[in-house]
Amino acid sequence: MIASQKESPSNVTDVFGASLSRRGFVKTGGALLVGFGIAGANGTSKVAAAVTGHTLNPGLSESWIEIHADNTMLIRVGKPDFGTGSVFTAYRQIVAEELNVPFEAITRVISGDTDRTPDGSGAFDFLGGGMPNVRKAAAYVHQALLDLASERLGVPKDQLSVRDGIVSGGGTRVSYGELVRNRKLNLTIPVKGDVTSMDGLTVDGDPPLKPVSQYAIIGKSFSNPVTVSKVTARETWVTDVRLPGMLHARMVHPKTLGSKLVSVGPLDKARFPNTQVVVKGNLVGVVAPTEWEAIKAAQQVAAGTKWTDWKGLPGDGRLFQFLKEDADWKTTPTQTSKKSTGDVASVLAKSSKKLSATYQLPFLKHAPIGPAMAVGDVRSDGTVYVYTHTQNPQALRSGIARMLSTSVDRVIVRSFAGPGHYGRSNGGNAGAEDEAVILSQVVGKPVRVQWMRQEDFQWSTQSSAAFSDVEIGLDTQGNLAGLQIDHYMPAMQDDRLVGAILAGLPTIPAPNEKGAVIGVENDSQDPWIYDGTPAVLERGHGTFQIGQNSSPVSIGLRDHSMRTPGQYQQNFPRELAVTEAAVLAGADPLQFRIQHTREKRLIAVLESVRDTSGWKTHSETASTTGGVSRGQGVSALFRGGSYWACVANIAVDMTSGAIKVEKMTVAVDPGIVINPLQLKRQVEGGTVMGLSMTLLEELRFDESGIVTSDWRSYPIATMGDLPEIKVVLINRPEVGKYGQGSEAANALAASAIAGALFDATGKVARRLPLKPAYVQALLKA
Amino acid sequence: MATILVNGIKREVQASTDTPLLYVLRNDLELSGPQFGCGLAQCGACSVLLNGKEIRSCITPLSAVGDKEVTTLEGLPARWAKQKGLTAEQAAKTLHPVQEAWIAEQTPQCGFCQNGMMIKATELLEHIPSPAVAEIKEAFTSGVSPHLCRCGTYTAIIQAVQRAATQMAKGAKVL
Repeated sequence: MIASQKESPSNVTDVFGASLSRRGFVKTGGALLVGFGIAGANGTSKVAAAVTGHTLNPGLSESWIEIHADNTMLIRVGKPDFGTGSVFTAYRQIVAEELNVPFEAITRVISGDTDRTPDGSGAFDFLGGGMPNVRKAAAYVHQALLDLASERLGVPKDQLSVRDGIVSGGGTRVSYGELVRNRKLNLTIPVKGDVTSMDGLTVDGDPPLKPVSQYAIIGKSFSNPVTVSKVTARETWVTDVRLPGMLHARMVHPKTLGSKLVSVGPLDKARFPNTQVVVKGNLVGVVAPTEWEAIKAAQQVAAGTKWTDWKGLPGDGRLFQFLKEDADWKTTPTQTSKKSTGDVASVLAKSSKKLSATYQLPFLKHAPIGPAMAVGDVRSDGTVYVYTHTQNPQALRSGIARMLSTSVDRVIVRSFAGPGHYGRSNGGNAGAEDEAVILSQVVGKPVRVQWMRQEDFQWSTQSSAAFSDVEIGLDTQGNLAGLQIDHYMPAMQDDRLVGAILAGLPTIPAPNEKGAVIGVENDSQDPWIYDGTPAVLERGHGTFQIGQNSSPVSIGLRDHSMRTPGQYQQNFPRELAVTEAAVLAGADPLQFRIQHTREKRLIAVLESVRDTSGWKTHSETASTTGGVSRGQGVSALFRGGSYWACVANIAVDMTSGAIKVEKMTVAVDPGIVINPLQLKRQVEGGTVMGLSMTLLEELRFDESGIVTSDWRSYPIATMGDLPEIKVVLINRPEVGKYGQGSEAANALAASAIAGALFDATGKVARRLPLKPAYVQALLKA
Repeated sequence: MATILVNGIKREVQASTDTPLLYVLRNDLELSGPQFGCGLAQCGACSVLLNGKEIRSCITPLSAVGDKEVTTLEGLPARWAKQKGLTAEQAAKTLHPVQEAWIAEQTPQCGFCQNGMMIKATELLEHIPSPAVAEIKEAFTSGVSPHLCRCGTYTAIIQAVQRAATQMAKGAKVL
């Protein structure tokens, strides 16, 4: 739904709120549609008075959970939805569970708008180690409601019970809605932290929580109501935001990742009479009344614009040589995993069988299906509105305020649905926001900036390339006796606004500069899971982003976390090496894993994929018929409280080297499963992304910049690549926490598929992606 | 300036005739189903039906539309209602079975590509009422380019196409 005042004035309360379409939608939707999104009678008015400096007061309970007289509720969360729907499904289930109200009683969720939500943070770690803010906020509200009910009914609190939002006790009853009618809860939500920081505010304290054994709503497969608006074209996507007087813009980005502007190309004013060219430092934007004019005019300007040349990158052909020989790994402190134990050097020296190898992963793109896009509106009173699809609106708010040297109180970021980009904006910006704001400030009108496909590949951040050196030693019984892994990866959390850099405006420091806080060191976040290994040393080594220091504009190859960051890079070498160690020991790779851990949850996921996939013991597996060899591989992972295991079954064309993944079996134990259907869909999607990264994806770059420009030069998996996918969800209420369910599904495929290739062919592929030419060369070697 | 037939209604548009249909639909006619993905006919996010055939609106100039009928995601319910001869009142309460199946299967993740996926599914099911999995895969990977989903929802898409096929065989479901 295009959100313009012209089209639906009756729905517009604050021009273009994220909730607009959902509210408008239900009105017109008919019986088929879920009654979600209807604001309660009071809408957001209750908290209007609590907004100071465009920030909601997090101490007020109604900033988090608003209870209406009709017993319906509204919740507000800083984390925006990014496609998983967790704020519309899991969060409502969590709140409904703690408050003992039906899931359907929560009729509206406001998320991701900086002036309408209390806690900030971003679209990552939705379940917060089992204690997301909404769970604690709901628990506090529940206690306050019981206090009110006790007073009203004259019944001691411990003799009250709640069912479907009705409090009963002593033969009397009262609904939540009646309790709060014309009354405020006697409650202040305690919080700590900085709302514009990466993690936002955290609800403090230790309110009593509903026992997991009494759960009735968590564990059920509720639908995501936003699916309805998305498949009926009633969603207000970020691409649909239209402001009065808004202009369209396209950028003219520099020739290289280290170029400076020499001169701006001419624009034919007769052809484009209403088009403006905006130049600020090395930032060039073309602003026009219509989108098509902006595109054509920008092409004309770009053709005549001159930039300095720069060659400061190694080029993808020399990437790993550069990382090994030229990169500075000394400035950044080395991180040692907490799971490191024993004297690895002496164990390796005494080992009867050894393996020593290097594993390499290329740069990847987040590659959203739609390119970066945002609307900026710098108003005459100095307030700045940004309409975008970002994972971390409050962090973006801070970045925009810094860029403009203004207070965060004057910046408002509104979140909308958009193309998922899997971590690219978890520290604030996805790409175009800062440029839209800069152009709006210059032209004095709202400006919509959309990057073209090529720009989204060439001017966005990348997921870091990495390599790891592994040494493994077996004892005389074939057990894993010692293992040393050194992971090497450039800094990967560059949250600087690239438009601000080009325009010469203030930004946060680059990774590895003094004052940078995150993403510099290469943490070993995913602990070694095979605790039966006597000696382990796992280290992470970090370095500067490639080309950043030599780029005259401090750009180079900017990196950013991407789905399962760090662990994705580390788990491929770790898990493929474990498979190689098993083969070296003459053991079955799956049983070898089970034998090297005492963790029952890990053993259970491994047994689950073994049984579900039809895993065959090592000696009877590989078969070659008609020039095609088949094999199986296994991998495992622990991340964010969840245990994972995966089996890949593949077929390898022994002539061409082409790999066809025939089946992927994935088991996950996240502790408590909140919503089985949504989790299953997320795991299926992550599995496909992992397959895509393993077989197809690699950023191509030369000495000046990124060469990858479109879906032909950066192919991703299509439906034709889809294997049979089996997902097993293991619900463990006894764990008492909700682990990160879905994110890590992409980090399992690479080591499982490479393990299957080893099984099928006897060849080990230690460099991703596993393209046919590479595999073919291995087969011939 | 041109007049085009969109979702059963003749619409006059001021845009120059070299403007890609996508921008006309989104900006002039405020139809936001089709999305800009690549502008290169490489992903399918912008798909619409042109006389029942799936095309990429990002590379189709306004001048190429002529008197053919454009159907966007917004027009799928009416298209289905017309095919089934529903009354206007019935039609207003109806979604296309493809849309219903997409909801029932909870197919989208971010959902940005799903416009094209549903348009492609509609085209497929109008030609092959009960497609096998291999035929579904063929449909979504052939033509000008494969339909791309970065969230990896292909399994859910196949299941939704099969569900929609079953529903379409049963006929219109009026609520």
